[in-house]
Amino acid sequence: MGELDRLAMYQQMVRIRQYESRIMQEYHADKSPAWDIGAGLIPGEMHLAAGQEPAAVGVCAHLKKGDAITAPHRPHHFALAHRVDMNKMTAEIYGRTTGLCKGKGGHMHLFDPENHFSCSGIIAQGLPVACGQAMAFQRKGTDHVAVAVTGEGAANQGAFHESLNLAAVWNLPVIFVIEDNDWAISVPKDASTAGASNADRAAGYGMPGVRVEDNDVEAVYEAAGAAIDRARAGDGPSLIEIHTLRLFGHFEGDAQAYRPELETVNERDPIPQYAAALQELGVLSEDQIASIQADADAEVDAAIEFAKSSPEPAPEDALLHVFA
Amino acid sequence: MANGATVGVIANPASSRDIRRIVARGPATTTNDKINSLARLMEGLAATGVKNVLSMSDAGGIAAGLAGIAAKASAMHWPNLDFVDQKITHSPDDTINAAKAMQDAGVDAIVVLGGDGTNRLLIGSTGSIPVASISTGTNNAYPRRDEPTVVGFAAGLLATGHIDSAACTYRAKTLTINAGDISLPALVDIAVVTGDRIASGAVWDADSLQEVFLCFAEPDAVGLSSIGGRLQPVSRRNPHGLRIRTDATSPRRVTVPIAPGLVRDLGITAVTALPPGETVAINADSGVISVDGERSLRFTADTPVTVTLQHDGPVVLDVPRAMHEAALPTTTTKGEDTHG
Ligand SMILES: Cc1ncc(C[n+]2csc(CCOP(=O)(O)OP(=O)(O)O)c2C)c(N)n1
Ligand SMILES: [Mg+2]
Repeated sequence: MGELDRLAMYQQMVRIRQYESRIMQEYHADKSPAWDIGAGLIPGEMHLAAGQEPAAVGVCAHLKKGDAITAPHRPHHFALAHRVDMNKMTAEIYGRTTGLCKGKGGHMHLFDPENHFSCSGIIAQGLPVACGQAMAFQRKGTDHVAVAVTGEGAANQGAFHESLNLAAVWNLPVIFVIEDNDWAISVPKDASTAGASNADRAAGYGMPGVRVEDNDVEAVYEAAGAAIDRARAGDGPSLIEIHTLRLFGHFEGDAQAYRPELETVNERDPIPQYAAALQELGVLSEDQIASIQADADAEVDAAIEFAKSSPEPAPEDALLHVFA
Repeated sequence: MANGATVGVIANPASSRDIRRIVARGPATTTNDKINSLARLMEGLAATGVKNVLSMSDAGGIAAGLAGIAAKASAMHWPNLDFVDQKITHSPDDTINAAKAMQDAGVDAIVVLGGDGTNRLLIGSTGSIPVASISTGTNNAYPRRDEPTVVGFAAGLLATGHIDSAACTYRAKTLTINAGDISLPALVDIAVVTGDRIASGAVWDADSLQEVFLCFAEPDAVGLSSIGGRLQPVSRRNPHGLRIRTDATSPRRVTVPIAPGLVRDLGITAVTALPPGETVAINADSGVISVDGERSLRFTADTPVTVTLQHDGPVVLDVPRAMHEAALPTTTTKGEDTHG
């Protein structure tokens, strides 16, 4: 396991949070009428991952170039933590030609072959893909790993179980990361899931399953490090379920009327908690907090500016680079 | 008492899922296994005439699962099952609050399903109520591996007054670590380890160990207390505890299971008895303290850290002894020391 770099993890979480917060602002800025998700400069649905930064940052801290991630419909935090270029990703979200998919994918379809990053709006769809990538790594004799990220709701899909089964049978270097944010849109976990923990389900497939109860980046870091080391060493798949927090709505525009614990959401925000812990440890000062925030602001503003100033695809290109 | 006996039940939904599943081949106890254990416990309690069970509430599916079975026709003979009306915080407070509510309700005995960590939470919250433990956690030295049905018999026989509490209970020892204004208790072990990481809780890195304090040390244990168990066993009822200093370079070696499936060779520099009531200073001047195998507290040279052994833990129901007490006279062999 590599050296724990607390400051780098804090910085990455702040960067992601700033990104999600600014995309939220930009998304709503010109949505008129507000219910028309096609309106405005950012067309389509928008699922933001604010509050779930510890999952992405704690896991990706152990990944190296060439390792793969498949993310679900809520992908930005894992994309940024896995070194996907912020400018190209933002341009994609704005539907511009400079985007990762030349503006044809949008926020749920960020494909970055260089960094082996992909995501999909079809929930649990990334799990079989990650198994395929892991199988390729295994057959090539590399020590690369694939990380399949999914929500706790998607863990009730058939593809989830098929993937765990196959990964165990073939001893694949894959790590299943489940972000349990208590909700699948408006459905609470206990209304959809037999068994309270997906760590239990891992046991059924003969792979280790860990549940990280606190939305704590260092606890995620330790569990993910152990699972990733294990996969690199050829010891096979693991599952890590992270009890995390959906700070915003399921999608932008979600009034969350179904959510009884809404008023306590802000006090559970993991970033101020981590900042306080690092200050107590003496590795983060007030000045650093300010400068880390300022750097994140500038980087995100520049990416949004890059996206907005990039060209839109021409109508005659509509049928280029599409399959089906 | 025989007509209205009430037993409290505490089950920790979070036990048995930490990083030791990966780093140490820790076994998994699924939520459904835990519910099944409680159902077996209920059968034992029912057999002894316990009328009421007051169970902890949780959002981890255990209370809901147990209520589901209790509603079935096959469970009509169970004691009446109620749940503590408590706010779920997803934190250790849930266990502590449940125990306090049981104390207020005047239960006759409490049964705890969990590991060392879950039992540790009950220190100071169960008063003089006898507590029986069923092991589900990972690295358990404190709860024995008794079958839940039999634990139900033992707790039920005690709660209904069929057996004498004095004959089958004793006070557990505790260790308390004091660092500045922080004070943390333990039921099995306190360890001093190097480094500054506390996030993932568990201690599995043998090289990080510096010093270990033990309430008791059984030779057949797994976990940190097995170190003492190999070197100088100390029973649960012995007034003393044990203090062990380790050093990776020491020629005095001992090979122990420091977690399930994780066997390590340690260098030992000193093993001494730890007398009760005496406050001793730890050796290191910075690092992390673990209580019952969970890294819990960082300390630096600024704060003096001390450890004290006391006989003020929960009142333990010794299940084998209770069953001996209750055995029919023709078959019993009373007085065997089940806990050494
Ligand atoms: C196969 C499929 N079915 C249904 C949907 C609609 N849908 C989008 S997100 C979602 C809930 C996902 O919940 P969870 O997996 O917990 O992820 P979260 O949104 O909480 O991050 C559903 C049902 C979908 N995208 N794909
Ligand atoms: Mg969810």
